Amino acid sequence: MYLALLELKAARGRFLLMGCVVLLVAALVGIVSGFTTGLGDDTVSALRRLPATHLACSPDAKSDQFARSLVPAGTLDRWRQQPGVRATPLGVSITRGTTDRHTEVDLAAFGVEPGSFLDPGAEDGRPLGGDGQLVISRKLADEGVRIGDTLTVDRLGIVLEVTGITARSSYGHVPAGYVTTATWQRIRFTTPGAATPAAELPQQYSAIALRSTGGARLADADQQFGTRTVTLDAAYAAAPGYTGERVTMTSIQFFLYLIAPLVVGAFFGVWTVQRQPELALLRAMGASRRRLLGHTLTQAAAVVLGGTLAGAALASAVGLLVGTEVPFSLPAPALTATMGTVALAALAGAALTLRRVAKADPMTMLGAGR
Amino acid sequence: MTELTLRGVSVSLGHGDARTPVLRAVDAVCAPGVLTALVGPSGSGKSTLLAVAGALLRPDEGRVLLGDTDLAALNDTERARTRRERIGYMFQSGNLLGGLTAVEQLLAAASVAGRPARRLRAAAESALAEVGLAHRLHHRADRLSGGERQRVALARALFLEPDLLLIDEPTAAVDRTQAAALTTLIATTARQRDCAALVATHDPVVVEAAGATVAM
Repeated sequence: MYLALLELKAARGRFLLMGCVVLLVAALVGIVSGFTTGLGDDTVSALRRLPATHLACSPDAKSDQFARSLVPAGTLDRWRQQPGVRATPLGVSITRGTTDRHTEVDLAAFGVEPGSFLDPGAEDGRPLGGDGQLVISRKLADEGVRIGDTLTVDRLGIVLEVTGITARSSYGHVPAGYVTTATWQRIRFTTPGAATPAAELPQQYSAIALRSTGGARLADADQQFGTRTVTLDAAYAAAPGYTGERVTMTSIQFFLYLIAPLVVGAFFGVWTVQRQPELALLRAMGASRRRLLGHTLTQAAAVVLGGTLAGAALASAVGLLVGTEVPFSLPAPALTATMGTVALAALAGAALTLRRVAKADPMTMLGAGR
Repeated sequence: MTELTLRGVSVSLGHGDARTPVLRAVDAVCAPGVLTALVGPSGSGKSTLLAVAGALLRPDEGRVLLGDTDLAALNDTERARTRRERIGYMFQSGNLLGGLTAVEQLLAAASVAGRPARRLRAAAESALAEVGLAHRLHHRADRLSGGERQRVALARALFLEPDLLLIDEPTAAVDRTQAAALTTLIATTARQRDCAALVATHDPVVVEAAGATVAM
């Protein structure tokens, strides 16, 4: 240990340089992880908050279900009679509007039945009570929308009164707002410029939210009712851009996890080759192979752990700096898991050089070995 | 008061058909307190004999007795322990660990031997002062002259009070004046510490200062 620290001190420039590389890799992995989680939350947090187990969509909507799927009210009634499940309608549309205080906002309108298990309630103000009311996500409140504001849906002229604020949630990077299913149908089906009476609007929903209480034969019901049921997790893929974002960010993370051991392994590989005469000297002086291996691993651990901790601090600092402007989420458990993986990958890279350390030949110190 | 005795030591080096006998039934004695010069032409096996005496190489035949311990009968782990606890080495070149200061070279040896290195700093400084390097304690290896590096190596070899001091061509990289001074220092130190010292050399200065000679 003492010798390992002496060497670290003696070659501090090189180890510092390597530590900086580990720091940058760790920080980059942390930042990418923060963006992956943040973007994921920004895309599907409104879906994650739905207390449903499954969603029944129309069978022809195999992608982008919430934009394509339309399920008639009759199907909802049949699902409601199905034993083992509770069913409630769900409408999802992205729109935009302007408040009476001229705040322009994008809005992911979620049509739910007040009092149903999808009703988000309200943290501030009143929960959804009737048509023409809007309960907004905390994210919209952060953008300047207040309880008591009226929001007019662009082009359609539908006026909504903001009655409450619920937890932060969004869908497809757009803050969520909750309206009644009837209001949602007006937003979804009204033609701009045409005054369509409410009674003439299609009695359809994006999907039927199901809460399986066990024993429900969903596949049989699907066949019977002409729907396609997916789990809530599977429905995330229907959110705009979700799959593409996940694949992109996860690929970047994957390659960074590959780069970390390669970079650290290359450094310790070169370092070990350079140190062969010194390792041979230490072996000649009686250092055991185990001691030299421990010595090398101690140095690797010091560099990797130091670099990773500094990288974690940098990633967290970046999160604090940009977190209010862009979707970024790096909670402590995620940060710990990410940094732990980086450290393990980097140590694995260093471990690749151990064979060469163990093979240092003390005979090379003598003329007989030269 | 430990003697090194080699009896009927034979060593062949290489593999398969290329295996060549280097030492054939060599007998030698290295008495405590005496600098013994190991002389012979290049390729005669001086360094191989040093390797055998220093528990770096196990002979094919024969006994290598350091006191009562037969080094030829020890396994790898026991030979490594013997090297760090009972033998001091001074090699022809590459003796010092790069980047470490003179004092740290000695503390590194203590660390390898499992001694509490941090508590031995004063002793290490004193050992370096004994070889005339009190003014170079905190100079890094690459800032020392060839002669100074060999003195650091000598101080390190003797730091843990070994039973046997093994030296390979100590004057090969220093000038005549430094060679004479270094040889005198080695011979004097071996005598003062009553330590058996075996030196492989081509240098007449070293041979002249030695108390005994083994010819290969």
